[in-house]
Amino acid sequence: MAESKNARHHVVIGSGIAGSQAADTLRSREPDARVTILTLSSLLFYNRYDLPKVFRGHRDWREFLAYPAEYYKDKRIEVRRCSRVAGVDGSRRTILLEHKEEIRFDTLLVASGGRGYIPEELADFRPLMRGFSSYTEAVTAANEVPDKGHVIMLGGDMIGLDLARTLIDTRHRVTLVAGPQTFWPHEVTDQERPALIAALEKMGVEVIESHDAGGIASIEQGARGLSARRVLFNDGSEVHGDVVMPFFGLSPSVEFMLGSGTDIERGLLVNPALRTTCEGIYAAGDVCQIWSDAEKRYRFFYGWKNVRAMGDLAARNISGGDEPWVPAQDEKLHIAADGSIQSAFWEYH
Amino acid sequence: MGEIKPPTGAPGAPAQASEYLSDDPRDIGWVKQNVPCQTACPAGTNVPVYIREIIERQFGRSYETNREANVLPGVLGRICSRPCEDQCRHGWPGNGEPVAICHLKRVAADMKDAGHRITESLYSPTGKRVAIVGAGPAGVAAAHDLSLLGHDVVILEREERPGGMLRYGIPEFRLPRGTLDIELHNALRLGVQLRTGVEVGSGKGQTPVSALLHEYDAVLLATGCMAATPLPLQGEWAERDPGKELADVEYGLDFLVQMHRGEKKRVGRRVAVVGAGFTALDCARVAARLGAQEVTIHIRTAEEYIPVTQEEIFEAKREGVRIKGLRTPVGLTTDASGRLTGIEFVQNRLGGWRKGGRRQAIPIEGSEFVEPCDTLIIAIGQQTVNDFLGTKLELDRWGNVRVGEDGMTSQKGLFAAGDYVSGASTVIQAVGHGRQVAKRVDAWLMGRERRRQVVRIVPVAQPLRERAFDFIPRQHMPTAQMAERLKDGKHEVELGLDDKLAFEEAKRCYLCNLRYQIDVDRCIFCRACIEVAPRNCIKLVRGVEVQEDGAYGKLLETKEWNQVGAIWIDNNECIRCGQCFKACPVQCISISRCELTEVEV
Repeated sequence: MAESKNARHHVVIGSGIAGSQAADTLRSREPDARVTILTLSSLLFYNRYDLPKVFRGHRDWREFLAYPAEYYKDKRIEVRRCSRVAGVDGSRRTILLEHKEEIRFDTLLVASGGRGYIPEELADFRPLMRGFSSYTEAVTAANEVPDKGHVIMLGGDMIGLDLARTLIDTRHRVTLVAGPQTFWPHEVTDQERPALIAALEKMGVEVIESHDAGGIASIEQGARGLSARRVLFNDGSEVHGDVVMPFFGLSPSVEFMLGSGTDIERGLLVNPALRTTCEGIYAAGDVCQIWSDAEKRYRFFYGWKNVRAMGDLAARNISGGDEPWVPAQDEKLHIAADGSIQSAFWEYH
Repeated sequence: MGEIKPPTGAPGAPAQASEYLSDDPRDIGWVKQNVPCQTACPAGTNVPVYIREIIERQFGRSYETNREANVLPGVLGRICSRPCEDQCRHGWPGNGEPVAICHLKRVAADMKDAGHRITESLYSPTGKRVAIVGAGPAGVAAAHDLSLLGHDVVILEREERPGGMLRYGIPEFRLPRGTLDIELHNALRLGVQLRTGVEVGSGKGQTPVSALLHEYDAVLLATGCMAATPLPLQGEWAERDPGKELADVEYGLDFLVQMHRGEKKRVGRRVAVVGAGFTALDCARVAARLGAQEVTIHIRTAEEYIPVTQEEIFEAKREGVRIKGLRTPVGLTTDASGRLTGIEFVQNRLGGWRKGGRRQAIPIEGSEFVEPCDTLIIAIGQQTVNDFLGTKLELDRWGNVRVGEDGMTSQKGLFAAGDYVSGASTVIQAVGHGRQVAKRVDAWLMGRERRRQVVRIVPVAQPLRERAFDFIPRQHMPTAQMAERLKDGKHEVELGLDDKLAFEEAKRCYLCNLRYQIDVDRCIFCRACIEVAPRNCIKLVRGVEVQEDGAYGKLLETKEWNQVGAIWIDNNECIRCGQCFKACPVQCISISRCELTEVEV
């Protein structure tokens, strides 16, 4: 079915869980509308939570796709891959792509997610670390770790700890340099932390408390014949490994929204209906800070279920709804009876 | 100095064969509209020219070009707030990141020859005497210019050494004192008498302003903003000053000044800084160097809206400083012994825009929360102090002294410049204002303006840029290793661009002072230029509006050939890539370099 001339054009920036869910919901609710997804990725939507599978030998990108290309064709969702958004003009309702093309929209959903945050003090060492935010990054990291190799994990957010489970399971060695971001996005108290660290050690993860070692002084390339990387601490100690992977939580990808007319603190600020301060622009997923009436603050909601629910809610509100956000998953971190760590953040299947 | 010729800006006017000066408002307006960096610079620095000189590796000339507008290029090349970069055409939507104009200024200063010869255009002595109160950036800039203009200048400075906030407010890791000392010396060496340790005021042992007015032909107040703005709190702290009552609470300005006077400063383990400007960032970074384990800057709005550079924020974060937004302090918590234990905040939401381009923060009722800390540094602003005057001057609603168009206060012969007039601003604003007021003081002393603005127009044979330059990314400033930075607290963080980085960065400049024009009489309307233009910069127009000041305004575009009056290069869109010039089969496109300059009246 072709879109009518007067059909609204809904543009979604980001093809992750939130963006893809939103596009699907928009199509269901507005059969005549034009729906476009802009994504920086060269791949169609794949589930980022599946990426640890690359360490189990799954390297074929087709295995990771959530839907085949036909799905988008059938749903008449136009996906424009490798499209970097340079800026958004909220008052003119236009998106400027890096290659200077302008796209007009009637409504815009920003679901650009977050990228792996690297603390500024470690920024100099970025070339010596391997990220895990995309399929390409995951494969690059996996290619650098030999069989039963040693991964040094910095920070240790829940994305990293999920990967650690796979690495241990696949007989890799994992050393975690723990710090304030360990267990992110869960907020762990000083009282809860020792038991959780013990649970990690029981899992087989070797833990170095960064603070006890005086903090990370530098990351260096290993000498010939030794491990490829070494992490040096301020107390003079060091740890050697095949690859260093930072897991310090996510940093919202909002740079292209600066000057768009939307309010930004760390993420895009939205009301409980996921509307930004600019008419016609919504946000969902890891990129937005939602006003919480209960907590009287703007806050992020992470996790696969939350992100998907946000995409769905934003789409419903774009197409006439006015429902408030209700979290879709528990945020507590538990230690089960068998001593293992249980997190809703890991429930993504 | 060339002869001033009649207006030349009209479409189709033949290109001049040689350099000339123009006072045509269209030419002056063209520069102001089309060279946004220079227009944005409060001192009017000729940015494209000094960057071009860096490309030519004429670092000394580049330094002198800077120095014509600003006597402290090495200083400003390190600590400028960079209003020019905010306006840089390279940073406009779709064009990428602005040119690192400030870093290139430092390149000119750092890479000039060791035996570099400074150029100064000296006027004959006038016999007039001027006293300047305050040896900060405004005072020094004014003293230099007044001295050039032939007046005998004396600066009276309260502190032991000159520089004002440059020396006593900005930490050494951002501004090495060697650089500051050399440039201050060069600014004042033309015969300016510097008297330090002299307090101007009405108290015992102080020099009254009235005595200065009696002794000198003109007096210029440039005392800056040397009082910290108190933190407005609520509840039990509503009428109290925690900076005076609590040992763990300090004002950022006093904290820095005392430290730079040589006092030993200490901070607690967990330091909170309230404020969103350079002073707040400086205090936080100093606290990290003094051994604080946790340093947090609390701001009312969000990082995007605070008036400091992104690089400064990044470097602070690298040093472990954290920034938390959307909060306004409303109270303090203390323990039984009166030691600070925390700050009570209220959560904000973002509101509209305030005058001056700052975002409003609107507190949300019932959203109070406490953040623990054991040291609080308040750095929310600075104010002028007027009680030293001993005479009543007209003040504005903010308590700043009011000056007229001629830069004079309500008292004859008493002028004021810099932050003392505008309230707390930036170093480059102070330098720029100091220069402006110096001109007005001179005009008042001499009974006439002695210099006026014209445009120097220099024909350029061919484009000075290549299209490939447009794709060079912004070059990043190399910085010191963390261990080096924290060793003595004074190690300069930014190391400066090396020759290669500087050359790459300089090539990125669009050289917006190049005016591309099409000679309509020779144009054959082949559209070749339009075909190769990378942007919508060459337009068919039926006319051009003329603004009130005589400058060109809006282009009246048309698509109807029978209405086309000219084919016009929209210099606002033009990125000076030179493609049109190269493509034109009849060479009807000319290029000229247009730069503001001053000539004797």
